Amino acid sequence: MTTSQRWQRILIVLGCAVIAYAVLAPLTSLDGAQALNLPLLTDKLWFRLATITAMFVVMATAWNIIGGLTGYAAFGNVAFFGIGAYTTGMLIAKAKWPFLLALPLAPVAAAIFAVLVGLPLLRLRGHYFAVASLGVGVAVGELVQNLDYRGEPIFGGASGLFMPIFAVPNRDLYFFYLMLGAAGVSIAVTWAVIRSRFGYGLIAIRENEEAAAVIGVNTTAYKVAAFALAAALTGLAGGIFAQWNVFIDQENSFPIAYNVEMILMALLGGTGTVFGPAAGAVVLQLLIQFLSGSLPITLDLPFVPEDAMPVLAQVVLGVLLALVVIFAPRGVIDFFGGRSRLTIAYLRRSLRETSI
Amino acid sequence: MTPQLDLRNVTKRFGGVAAVDGVTFSIAKGEILGVIGPNGAGKTTLLNCISGVYRLDGGDIRWHGVSIAGLAPYRVARLGVGRTFQIVKPFGSMTVRENVAVGALFGSDSERPPLRAAFDRADSVLELVGLRMKADLPVSALTIPDRKRLEVARAVATRPKLLLLDEVMAGLNNVEIDDALEMVRAVHETGVTVVLIEHVMRVIVGVCERVIVLDLGRTLADGQPDVVLRDERVIQAYLGERYARRLRGG
Repeated sequence: MTTSQRWQRILIVLGCAVIAYAVLAPLTSLDGAQALNLPLLTDKLWFRLATITAMFVVMATAWNIIGGLTGYAAFGNVAFFGIGAYTTGMLIAKAKWPFLLALPLAPVAAAIFAVLVGLPLLRLRGHYFAVASLGVGVAVGELVQNLDYRGEPIFGGASGLFMPIFAVPNRDLYFFYLMLGAAGVSIAVTWAVIRSRFGYGLIAIRENEEAAAVIGVNTTAYKVAAFALAAALTGLAGGIFAQWNVFIDQENSFPIAYNVEMILMALLGGTGTVFGPAAGAVVLQLLIQFLSGSLPITLDLPFVPEDAMPVLAQVVLGVLLALVVIFAPRGVIDFFGGRSRLTIAYLRRSLRETSI
Repeated sequence: MTPQLDLRNVTKRFGGVAAVDGVTFSIAKGEILGVIGPNGAGKTTLLNCISGVYRLDGGDIRWHGVSIAGLAPYRVARLGVGRTFQIVKPFGSMTVRENVAVGALFGSDSERPPLRAAFDRADSVLELVGLRMKADLPVSALTIPDRKRLEVARAVATRPKLLLLDEVMAGLNNVEIDDALEMVRAVHETGVTVVLIEHVMRVIVGVCERVIVLDLGRTLADGQPDVVLRDERVIQAYLGERYARRLRGG
């Protein structure tokens, strides 16, 4: 067994241990577990953080299907998150549907919207598509907040939508596992896509769309399908979020920052790979929370007043991302699995690739 | 008998310039046809018209008697028309084998194989074009002649009935051209109709049964290579009027 294989095994074992901990630790917050005096591994705060992290795993992994595999930099995927949230929200709050019946319609609505928007938009290339999709992302949020019918806001307007609390025992745990399930589904879908005719078609489009077309790939249909698949997964996360959070409005369902964050997570972890975006989501989400002081561990820096930490967090994030894009364009996932090692030679090679 | 491909008055204009101007000819099944012409004669434009990359401004293109003018490139490909690009367009992130396997996965509508069978087909096509030993290399590790081979291999993998090769010999030295000709013959022997678009005369003479000469978007000559290449108008178009006059002994 070579050294790299040994490292690979160690990393797989470590990875499984980390995942097992993340999945099982919240169980110690159950009343039963506490009554038995089992050591508490997570408190409420960690718990909420874990659910949000899983939500970003879904979004980054879904973005990877259109942005990473197909090579179309979608900057408006938050629209699908919001549409998913509002589909579930409207059905629960206005039509009085039960949550579990309303949830499956969130990905459906987001996918239908993606098909309608994708047909004209996916004819654009490169920067043009990125900017146009950003426009859609912003516009949908504004429409949802401002559309009126006979003086009454259709989607709750600026005051948002309230849903009744979903009655299950251990509600937080329930939503954590639901979100985790969505993350698992996203990763499994990506895994299956990469190994299919569909996936090879998408990668062919990314590498050379004209060449893909002349070997018989129906490029328009493939691009729209990839966009709709990404939308469905993102919409699912939105649907879960709506009922978990009980209250939705434009600000929490269409945050433009999510657009940037999901892309950065995918880039950081490694676009076009199965686990890269998920890894990037975990790392970046923890980093964001840590730097903004939401974690119990805080950092005391000389010369930096405590209230300046969130600003510093943004600066550190920005610098980090610039470094990743320049020096590790294939993402941190490239260092796992024994293909490449983080050496000076690797950084120099990357720099040659990414510069003119 | 209906020809495999039938071009009638095919015209393509860019602004005021007619890059292809009323070209008419037909190709029979199993033929190996050369299309030559000086720079700017409209060779690549004609190929783009056939494969659906460009929309026609006039005329018609028929595949087994049915018009294919205006079809999207992927539809033309699915009918069984394969093509290569003069400037090779490999899928850069894939290995040589994957590039060819993608061709096999898609391509002609007849019996689209599952993943495993597509990779098997890729291996046999790589054997045919002489890239078997380099199957697992990334595209970036290939030399220029090998990249041209890969371009051909990917097109062959799509199970075409007609293969349009756009200057696959351009930029190759004499030895490499001989190797490439060998490859083209091997592909032709599998029963594929081949159209070789070339700038270099030598290539055409070596392998084609019939040659079409284009100049300024029009058909200048159509016939057996040795006859066509002695045609005065062809010599004039290629080498200039003065040279043609000297040949005449003027």
